[in-house]
Amino acid sequence: MMRHTKRHVKDQSLLGIVSLVSLFGILILILIFGYVFKNGAALVSWDLLTNDYYAEVYNSYYDGSLNDTEYVRPNNLSNDAYFSSRWGVAFTDDIDQEGHAVIRIVYVDPDSPLTRLLDKNTEGQTVVITAEQLLDKVIFTGNVILYSMDGAEKAAIKFDAATGIRDMLTSTEGKGIRGSIITTFLLIIMTLFIAIPFGVFTAVYLHEFAPKKSKLVFTFRRLIEMLSGMPSIIFGLLGAAVFIPFTTVFTSADGGNLISGALTLSVIVLPTIISSTEEALTVVPDEFRLASLALGANKTQTTFKVVLRGAIPGILTGTLLAIGRIIGESAALIYAVGTAIKDEIILTERSTSLAVHIWSIMSGEVPNFELASAISLIILAVVLILSLIVKIIARKYAIDPSMRG
Amino acid sequence: MPIPYVFDIENLNLFYGDKMALKNINLQIRKNEVTAFIGPSGCGKSTLLRCLNRMNDLIDGCRTEGKIRYAGNNIDDRDFDVIDLRTIVGMVFQKANPFPMSIYDNVAYGPRCQGVKDKHILEGIVKKALTEAALYDEVKDRLRESATSLSGGQQQRLCIARAIAMSPQVILMDEPTSALDPIATAKIEELIKELKKEYTIIIVTHNMQQAARISDRTAFFLLGELVEFAETETLFSHPKNPKTEDYITGRFG
Repeated sequence: MMRHTKRHVKDQSLLGIVSLVSLFGILILILIFGYVFKNGAALVSWDLLTNDYYAEVYNSYYDGSLNDTEYVRPNNLSNDAYFSSRWGVAFTDDIDQEGHAVIRIVYVDPDSPLTRLLDKNTEGQTVVITAEQLLDKVIFTGNVILYSMDGAEKAAIKFDAATGIRDMLTSTEGKGIRGSIITTFLLIIMTLFIAIPFGVFTAVYLHEFAPKKSKLVFTFRRLIEMLSGMPSIIFGLLGAAVFIPFTTVFTSADGGNLISGALTLSVIVLPTIISSTEEALTVVPDEFRLASLALGANKTQTTFKVVLRGAIPGILTGTLLAIGRIIGESAALIYAVGTAIKDEIILTERSTSLAVHIWSIMSGEVPNFELASAISLIILAVVLILSLIVKIIARKYAIDPSMRG
Repeated sequence: MPIPYVFDIENLNLFYGDKMALKNINLQIRKNEVTAFIGPSGCGKSTLLRCLNRMNDLIDGCRTEGKIRYAGNNIDDRDFDVIDLRTIVGMVFQKANPFPMSIYDNVAYGPRCQGVKDKHILEGIVKKALTEAALYDEVKDRLRESATSLSGGQQQRLCIARAIAMSPQVILMDEPTSALDPIATAKIEELIKELKKEYTIIIVTHNMQQAARISDRTAFFLLGELVEFAETETLFSHPKNPKTEDYITGRFG
């Protein structure tokens, strides 16, 4: 009886510890996701995904005289927009990607004088103010100044009172991450293009062709395992020391570039792809190999037509892990691709992946937590979508569970 | 005039490392007959079967002594290509093992590996093989579906069709019905009786009734030795060796 009580207590306390610890783990995960979501969700928008990072700034003035036309407020303008009937323009209050208050131009009348402004920087060039631009600063005739922090309502009032514009600063939105998204996808595609053939063929050699008890193969395998645990900054150094010079010789690149980045990432994900492919090859039932050989197929045909086909789900899992690694990699890319955020992505030039973009905006003087969280959410979404796609493909090639083992 | 044997096995010894698995086997297989190998587990009957298409080559430390002649040629000779041997001698395994591809691709796999590319020829081969394996009517509308969607018995008949597609002379069957229910088993047995008109069949079975039902000759193995080899009817009704009698009457095994 005594013995049973003791066992019961032991049982219950172990169960308690296990539940408590797992609860703790789940809580931490929820906290992290919650933090990222709370900070970033408000900023995630289509504009963030598609806009350029660098805003285009227009500096203009109006040299004509203002006639007495009363512009009519269009009916479809929302209620929170403030309309200046004298200039035919409407503003709203908004926040930009960094969370600062800005004045956004939401409507410009087709006949408005604002469509006939002159460029201050280039003689004879006209500037057309359009909706979606941000109003940064205006100096009206008579030295009345309007700043962006004045708000939309005041802007409309000041415009209505003004008779001319001496100096007007407007800009496009900017702060978008389109360039970094393109870079990320380019890096994923190029890296997989290099790493999958190398990784899969290496695994096939090791598992199907190499002598089973060879010391050399054993050592090689241990080395691959060791590589998968290596800090990526070391691979970044490799990229800087080997791949950047390599690409500068063969292309027009003169420093970090996407090609050297893809090569560096390939080295990083190679161990992952090799070991998951090898694992997948182990799972392919020997019955398939025997059946193929018994049909008069040779070793190569058996390996490439039957065994590799059976290993596709495993190879896809490895690919998914590799994609995760590529998206998440920052340290190595800082060396191999650079940290300059770009809007126009050229293979032989520097740019940033999403992860390095986060690094870049967080390492400035004023770290931008909100934008970093928003990009994190986008990365999470990309990983989620890609893993769903891979799962669907893998299911198509899955081996009947009854054949396993 | 000597009878033209398909396989002529002479003084065959087989070793797994140091362990002797087959001892001095002498056996002749006749054309267009069903020969059954029976015996308790570990008696070497499957090992002998795998010698006939040299699948034992794939096992580390397995070596043979003695001679196996196929149509007069020693299959262990250097100039006898093992790939050629396996196209002549097909094999069906204990567990149905269709490849994870479509029914059509499964049957076309062997010919394709031999370099047959022409679509019409392949279609002809696939249709003929599936018909001979009594499967065509059941699957003709879903040749492009995955082979794993078939039932166990259908999968095994698909494996037979896959072997037939190579137009072999001999089909080796290693306990082909041991994983099947009685109805599927009956279908396969029916099929084997049909197939022996065109092919020579060697079947390993645990099921003595099966051997009695479908085979023309039966070989009884015990502990790596061939105890008795005779016409099936004779072996089951008047076994010469008391060990054979003990086994077939169920006194052991």
